[in-house]
Amino acid sequence: MKLKTKIYFISSVAVLLTFSSCSKLLVEQPRSQITPQFFSTPGGILGGIAGVYSDMRNLWGTEGFLNMCVGGTDEDLVGGSGNPNFFTYSIVNSDIVGLWNIAYQDINTLNGVLQYGASANLDSTTKNQYLGQAKFLRAFYYFYLVQTYGPVPLHLKFITVPSTADSRAPIADIYNQIIQDLTQASTELAPVPTAPFLGKPATQPTALYLLAKAYLTRGWSSAAQASDFDSASTIASNLIANASIYGLGLWQDYANVNKPGNEYGEESLMVIDHQNSLTYGDYTIGTYASGPKENKSCFYFRPNYPAVNANYPAGGGAGVMTRDITNGRPFIRVRPNGPYLLNEAFADRINDSRWDNTFQTVWIANTTPAVVTPRGTLIPGVDTAIWTPPYEVSAAERASFPGIIFTPDGEGDKDSSWSPNMFPSMKKYDDPNKVQINDASTRPFIIFKFSEVYLIAAEAYYKQGDLVDAAAMLNVLRQRAAYRSTNTAAQNAAAVTAMTIVPSQVTLDFILDERTRELYGEYQRWWDLVRTNSLAERLQRFNPLEAYPGFSKEPTDYVLRPVPQTEIDLVTSGPPFPQNPGY
Amino acid sequence: MPKNLRLIKQLTGCFCILQTLIPISLYAQRPVISGKVFDVATNNPLIGVTVSLKGTQTGTFTNVNGSYHLSIPNSGDTLEFSFLGYLKRDFAVRERRFINVGLSATRQSLNEVVVVGYGTQQKSDVTGSIVTLKGSTILQVPSPNLIAGLQGRASGVDIVSNSSNPGAIPQIRIRGDRTLTTTASADDAQNGPLVVVDGIPYSGNINDINPDDIANVSILKDASATAIYGSRGSGGVIIITTKRGTPGRQVFTYNAYYGVDNITGEYPVFNGPQYAAYKTAAAAGNNVNPGTNAYGLTTAEAAGLAKGVSTDWQKLIFRQGYTDDQEISVAGGNQAIQYSMGAGYYKVQGVVPGQNFTRYSIHSTIDDQVNRHIKIGYTGINSMEYTNFGGGDPVGGLVRLSPLTAPYNADGSINLYPQIGALDANVVNPLTLITDQQAIVNNDRRLNTFNSLYGVWQIIPNLKYRINVGLNYSQDQSGTYFGPNTFANGNATALSQANESVGNSESYSATVENLLIFDKTFAGKHRLTFTGLYSVEKDHTQSSGIFGTGIPADYIQNYNLSLANTVNASNSSSNPWNYADRGLISYMARVNYSFENRFLLTATLRTDGSSVLSVGNQYYTYPAFAAGWNMTNERFMQHIKAISYLKLRAGWGITSSQSINPYSTLGALGVDYYNFGPGTAGQNTGYLVQTLGNKNLKWQSTAELNLGADFGLFNNRITGSIDVYNQNTNNILLSESLPPSNGAGSTIVNAGKTKGHGFEISVSSLNIRTHSGFTWRTDVNVSVNRNEVVALQNPTLLADIGNGWFVGQPLSVIYDVKKIGIWQTADSTQAASYGEKPGMIRVQDVGTTTDAKGNPSGGPDGKINAADRQIIGNFEPRWTGGLTNTFSYKGIDLTVVMFARMGMMVVVPYVMSDGGAQGFDFFNNSRNNSLKRNYWTPNNPTNAFPQPNAATDYTNYSSTLGYVDGSFIKVRSIDLGYTIPPKVLEKAGISSLRVYLTVANPFILYSPFVKQGYGPDPEGNGYGGVSTSTVGGTPVPGRAITVNLNTPPTRQFNIGVNLQF
Repeated sequence: MKLKTKIYFISSVAVLLTFSSCSKLLVEQPRSQITPQFFSTPGGILGGIAGVYSDMRNLWGTEGFLNMCVGGTDEDLVGGSGNPNFFTYSIVNSDIVGLWNIAYQDINTLNGVLQYGASANLDSTTKNQYLGQAKFLRAFYYFYLVQTYGPVPLHLKFITVPSTADSRAPIADIYNQIIQDLTQASTELAPVPTAPFLGKPATQPTALYLLAKAYLTRGWSSAAQASDFDSASTIASNLIANASIYGLGLWQDYANVNKPGNEYGEESLMVIDHQNSLTYGDYTIGTYASGPKENKSCFYFRPNYPAVNANYPAGGGAGVMTRDITNGRPFIRVRPNGPYLLNEAFADRINDSRWDNTFQTVWIANTTPAVVTPRGTLIPGVDTAIWTPPYEVSAAERASFPGIIFTPDGEGDKDSSWSPNMFPSMKKYDDPNKVQINDASTRPFIIFKFSEVYLIAAEAYYKQGDLVDAAAMLNVLRQRAAYRSTNTAAQNAAAVTAMTIVPSQVTLDFILDERTRELYGEYQRWWDLVRTNSLAERLQRFNPLEAYPGFSKEPTDYVLRPVPQTEIDLVTSGPPFPQNPGY
Repeated sequence: MPKNLRLIKQLTGCFCILQTLIPISLYAQRPVISGKVFDVATNNPLIGVTVSLKGTQTGTFTNVNGSYHLSIPNSGDTLEFSFLGYLKRDFAVRERRFINVGLSATRQSLNEVVVVGYGTQQKSDVTGSIVTLKGSTILQVPSPNLIAGLQGRASGVDIVSNSSNPGAIPQIRIRGDRTLTTTASADDAQNGPLVVVDGIPYSGNINDINPDDIANVSILKDASATAIYGSRGSGGVIIITTKRGTPGRQVFTYNAYYGVDNITGEYPVFNGPQYAAYKTAAAAGNNVNPGTNAYGLTTAEAAGLAKGVSTDWQKLIFRQGYTDDQEISVAGGNQAIQYSMGAGYYKVQGVVPGQNFTRYSIHSTIDDQVNRHIKIGYTGINSMEYTNFGGGDPVGGLVRLSPLTAPYNADGSINLYPQIGALDANVVNPLTLITDQQAIVNNDRRLNTFNSLYGVWQIIPNLKYRINVGLNYSQDQSGTYFGPNTFANGNATALSQANESVGNSESYSATVENLLIFDKTFAGKHRLTFTGLYSVEKDHTQSSGIFGTGIPADYIQNYNLSLANTVNASNSSSNPWNYADRGLISYMARVNYSFENRFLLTATLRTDGSSVLSVGNQYYTYPAFAAGWNMTNERFMQHIKAISYLKLRAGWGITSSQSINPYSTLGALGVDYYNFGPGTAGQNTGYLVQTLGNKNLKWQSTAELNLGADFGLFNNRITGSIDVYNQNTNNILLSESLPPSNGAGSTIVNAGKTKGHGFEISVSSLNIRTHSGFTWRTDVNVSVNRNEVVALQNPTLLADIGNGWFVGQPLSVIYDVKKIGIWQTADSTQAASYGEKPGMIRVQDVGTTTDAKGNPSGGPDGKINAADRQIIGNFEPRWTGGLTNTFSYKGIDLTVVMFARMGMMVVVPYVMSDGGAQGFDFFNNSRNNSLKRNYWTPNNPTNAFPQPNAATDYTNYSSTLGYVDGSFIKVRSIDLGYTIPPKVLEKAGISSLRVYLTVANPFILYSPFVKQGYGPDPEGNGYGGVSTSTVGGTPVPGRAITVNLNTPPTRQFNIGVNLQF
């Protein structure tokens, strides 16, 4: 070939190559990301629901959300290492972002599932289950939103075009939507957990439970309908009557309610699952509970037991306890409000087994070599190293006890009293099966319990003036609480008698106290007080030193939590988004 | 010899470099002219001078001795001698057979050839704002890469340190930021410059290029110069030209230096007694249970205090590092074929155990003038880099450790758990970083191969076609292994808890460019150059990562994850699973016109089409115009003797940034996982809507006007440039944070406008030149750049607090409440009205509401809340500057490079604490050691830092503590060299030898940050980590560089040699 020909040939090939490769060059084909159209497939619908359940792990089991649920109530005070803001009503915006952001992200996903899912290629049974789950979950989040923030934006369509404008909907509209979704979900969901929704996800009775509670809550609210309390008590009592159909019931022994391994048992209405799996459980052994979605509820209520030294209250001695799996990792975030619990809610600790089944008050020595205190040697595994009895002890008893005693007010001695760092430890979330002391728990988080249906019914009956039925409902739980496996039958029978109440004893206070006895520490209390309009009064009475001073500045202001500042800042078109009063 | 055979032989010659000169045009029976060409000033032979028969294509080059032979048609012709940097000369042959010619050099610098986009120009013809630097200048500051070496060396180029790890690449901005971005990586992608290597847009990492291989660098700053890169030009363009062979003697070069590296200073933390006092102060400040401290001294600490233990953990761990740089190359060639090849080795052993960076590189080039019509060439840059990042968070961990505990046991063994008895008892001794290196792996191995081929075909005398083909491929394999009982993995006590990972990422980009270039001078005074381009480029990246837990033995590390107890492929930011393709099709035309070398005009039009936008919005056209006036070529300037050179320039153009991610228009679902029930049957992959796509995205654009002047005074003893510019960016592709009630955090929109303006001056002066041979040269540059947000997502929006954007303010600001001191005892009543107590941080109460611009308004209202936030400062320097002084006397040379960035804030997260993951865990409650600071006590009523409080890690308004003046003036390097006189070297066959000593980072001349005791160095070393504000939101954008507890910067003492033979 001649040189010139070669040149022409090579240049032509080069130019041709350049042009021929172009036709496809500007066409995009994603391969490592899933686009929103995926929701129109069966896998996408199920994935949307699974994603929402997974997102709940960002709330239940996390510290920020716990503070929001129990902070600033009659039940709890801030622990020595806790963030005091919720507990003292000096709430700032950075404390509050979780629920709002997660709820709306999940609601939009669920709207996508509902919108696309209606026409998805699925058999009707499966489709009903899927859509029922989506409706339940959407109502679930709106119910938390409306109770926490009041009138909130109500989005029922899948958002594909973003907007920088948003506004509040009246709470009546929000409750109507919640009730409509839950009513439909209560027929569409399976009566018992059914694949692919195994374990204890939302089922028909969960929807009925939440529906009863929604009616009850609306009944108390400014959007109340005349029939609300009746609807609540009817749904709740029907649910109790049909419990066996749904595989629900109460454990004979209250000790079993929160026992590790019983999470999927008859008394659980719904759990948020956790699992020892990095992928599906967001969990790895040995990572120090570093994952944001890990269940860390086993840390927050623990006192700083490893910091108690042998010469306490003087310094310099060896620690009487070493951090171990049995006694858990002390985060010292929340401590029980002693006066309220001891004198009001758990005044009867003899007949009512629930105090003993809720709190750990004894720490058995676990340090080798044995630690010696000025009063004796603490033999590991045998002697009590720390004791936080719910009553005062005599000086003689103190002198003869080798371990360290912390009593509610220390017989006037501040060093010997329950303190922000040493107090009885709430043990409902204990996880003795952990591999690493410092790891999070893999126990599923029980979010709703069947026992609460009785409390809902009692409150609804009480509000209708039907104290007989109210007392009957409460007595079911009280008589169960009288049972101790260590008692004789006669002792148990006597306790049942002692625990049984008569209708005239039913008051709002009594119902709220009963909720504490049954559900202490279970991420509910603040809403209970807000719902029943008792927050101010109960704080003044039972939490006068820590929560009430901050709360009482402007008492009407704090019955709603503040809207996250990001929402207010980012609503940049249309009318500004208003903050709740007081913030 | 038949032409074809000759071609084949020459092609063979490409591979065997020893090919000798073959005269290009050989015709028998014609007069043959011979002779030598030399430099009139030095009498040295000139190699590679073009000798041609005037007005024809017949010609040759001078050989290594400066000799040439050329046969000509008849003896009445004229020969033309031309050589770059020398005045052209014509000689009539007039029957002569031997013609020796002396050429004189043109005035240096003004006739330098400057690399511009898609071609070169003489400096006097340049109309854009371009800075050029020689490779040797960059090497004056020992640096792992070009960017680090450019700091302070070029006006308008702001280089900010963002890491002190070995092999770190700083952040570079040319004339500031134009685009509003939310994350650091997006900011770099959209505001950073385009890098072009030997003509090909470069997709590799700047660390892949050995600075020793760089011949020169052109930095295109204004839009009239960068518009030919259209959609990638708005951040400026850095054109790197690598070293190539030149005709003549074969030259071997050996450059090397070795030096020791030490930290410039430790982070100042409490010593033993101070730490104990701090714990006592924290007990006293306990506001929940006064007088108590849950983090009181442990038994071991109390004993340590009594014995006088005060462990300086940083001193124990930071080691002396070293830098070793070796480069050997050979270059040469003849008139037809030139070649170069070289190999380099660069290693930095970091001051933190386990951190180092090593690069092996091979660079080769070949150029072959096949015949009068065809030239072909190749560049290959291959490099392999190993980076070890070290384990865990060494520096942050060291700072937290108690100084009252002993590093070693009485028997000399390591005290594995020095904090036993404390809440953080499980922290493993950091000495394991040294003793247990096998169990700590955190590395990256990168291979990059850059290849470019070109061919030039001179179709007719004034028209040529050029093709460039570029192929860049890079692959990274990264991995971690953190074994049990090590500082890097304190939670793990057994091998079953070890964790390990491997990640793999590869990318390639392929470019084909077709260029048509026409260059002709009409009527002796109209010079017209036309450049046309059609190019296509495809970029691809793909990455994957796998994590494991548990491993049978430390030595397996992460080499075999099938032996791990559990393995998963979850997506993570460190090892993402990602796939992205991006295509770009471009057309460009440029016309340069010059009239009598007095008036210069340039016009450019480029059209780019990109795959990342939706169909219909993919193409955009970028125009640019520029004009220049070489005033010194005017007659009226001839008599102004002081001005030896003056050129005025003006240019305007439009450019943009295409750096949104592929598939941004489509939207994406976030992936989550969930298990329904205890078994595996209920395990599901979940999807959530986390971002919303936008189908209507289109190009953003930046229009820039630049006015400039280049001058030479006093016979060019002082030369320099001045530029002023103004730029406006519209339709910015920005990630817009959405109200969370949208259900998605963000979307990308075309919104917003920014503007910028600035002033740059650079002057080079030969201050002193004595007859004895002493010279003193100064190069100084000063840049002032101001960027400002002009509009946000919609016209009425003046503040986007969530993203940190405020109309009328720089692009990143600090927006928070303002600390005005500490509440003092005398003010306790007033403090109480704010819910505060003496000893707590006092912030300014200025607003009841916030106006549209985000400013507080309405005056004090007795409450501190979001309405009291205000703009505290920003990260834009008032000015930056560089000053290089070079002294030489006989063989001795001394260069001092200084650098200043003045008038911006820097953020220090480690003096903040919000009780969460950001800031410094336990900053104010004395659980850990921390910065040695002047904290408030009743007896020390300071306004600097609040009273320690053992009750809580959460400190109200603690974010306000970390905003510090980040201004500094530094000496970047001092370089002292001695060139051995040639006479001494001649016998050894060495042509030149220079030995030198360099100190890098010798000292900081001015820094309020250092003076106030915040740390050893004000330059940044990372991003983010900033606490949320107590009144809501994050006060500092995540894209801002911060000074955190990372590897401290080092001071290096190097000894080096430059040898040629």
